[in-house]
Amino acid sequence: MTSPPADSSPTVLRLHRLSRRRAGRVAVQELSLDLQRGQVLGLLGLNGAGKSTTLSMIAGALRPDSGGIELNGEDFLEQPELARTQIGWLPERAPVWAELSVEEHLDAHGRLRGLNGATLRQARIAIIERLELQPLARRLAGVLSQGQRQRLGLACALLHRPALLVLDEPANALDPVQVAALRALIREQAAAGTAVILSTHLLAEVTAVCDRVAILHEGTLRHDGPVSAGDHAALEKTFFAIAMNGVARAA
Amino acid sequence: MSHAYANTVAIARLEWRRLLVRPLAWVLAALTLAWLAWNFTLLLGSFLAGQIQRAAQPDGPGFTDLVGVPLLGQLAQLAFLVVPLLTMSTLAGERRNGTLALLFAAGVPAWRIVLGKYLAVSGWLLLWLALALAMPLALAHATHFDWGKLAAATLGLALMLAALAAIGVACSSFAAHPALAAAAALVIALALWSVNLGAQMAGVNGGAVNWLAMSTHLQPLLRGLVSSADLVWFALLIVLALALAARRLGADKERG
Repeated sequence: MTSPPADSSPTVLRLHRLSRRRAGRVAVQELSLDLQRGQVLGLLGLNGAGKSTTLSMIAGALRPDSGGIELNGEDFLEQPELARTQIGWLPERAPVWAELSVEEHLDAHGRLRGLNGATLRQARIAIIERLELQPLARRLAGVLSQGQRQRLGLACALLHRPALLVLDEPANALDPVQVAALRALIREQAAAGTAVILSTHLLAEVTAVCDRVAILHEGTLRHDGPVSAGDHAALEKTFFAIAMNGVARAA
Repeated sequence: MSHAYANTVAIARLEWRRLLVRPLAWVLAALTLAWLAWNFTLLLGSFLAGQIQRAAQPDGPGFTDLVGVPLLGQLAQLAFLVVPLLTMSTLAGERRNGTLALLFAAGVPAWRIVLGKYLAVSGWLLLWLALALAMPLALAHATHFDWGKLAAATLGLALMLAALAAIGVACSSFAAHPALAAAAALVIALALWSVNLGAQMAGVNGGAVNWLAMSTHLQPLLRGLVSSADLVWFALLIVLALALAARRLGADKERG
């Protein structure tokens, strides 16, 4: 396995031998990795590689069977309430409360994350402007397209300015213009010091926005290393070598 | 405001808002209140028709016995249907929708999620009770009320609604589909109400089976008798149902 680069920035997230079984099989096994402030980590893998399970555990929605998660030096499993202010999570398919409007969603998420009064109002206005959700602000979430829901989910994840942003396939259902805007937003968040971890199936997504890439295969970490915009061919080679090796072994 | 309190309030506000914008809650309120209003006029008509005969009986039943309490009794019957429908989506709907994970990811413990949902539903039910109660109270200036009896009956109804809401939330926490939650809550509530039916038919009026039945604890309150044993029974039922719901929800986070 390739080692991650040394980085002097403070560590926001540290996974230590994280394991989880789901539906009777190993979903994630002995996963260890660190994520520094301002770093964007891309999580790659085939379907069922354990990406979403890993992100659910990091977000606090799922408890690991064993291992540890440290968030800004504190034990996250012992203090799950840390998620409230420090983590923003966009789950796969961005679930919404269909009967609430976009604004009501943001208010509900804000209150759950400890915002209220004028602070909540300002945060809501700012994120609506930033994600250009003004035309949708009064619309019910149930009638939004999947791409619009995705943007709403992203707004909810960013509303409280978390230290760690966890994005599960954020480019799902977005059009090319929105994908470009999403990439700019992720880089902007990283520049502001937010640590970002995103899972995707798209190698181009990783080379476009990530500083680092981790490749999961059958629940284990097979590669963790730096990546940049010019590395597409090398990344593709590494990814297919890992994925096809697994397929060959399975056959 | 402490985090624990703020989280519970945030969940309650969210659920309350969802109740207010969903047609189901409004349709249930409109239909049941219309039904109760119609029955109120019938009860009132009957009360007025028998007024002259009752004038000869100084200790005979009054407005509270013949109109107020029977109206609350009808609300109790409606509650068996209304409460399961209102509570069915509280947790089962969130789970199906994928939004339960969002609540966990906000660092809200299972028991606070359950408590917040329960408070919102209970608030709606108390409002429903208050609107039903407003019908006889509208005539307070024109008739003589037995305030003590009416207060005891109202307390009984409030406790019954709170208990049914707790059962409904618990069923919703266990069920994979809201309709299953509603069916389970209805069956459990009916079973709890009539568990002593067989014993009563056999002439047995005490014992554990009678203690277990909700009717044993509600009927004295409807007659104006407030006993701490009855209040404790309702409190135990509510705490037990909510604890089961919180436990089941906590297991959701463990199991994924």
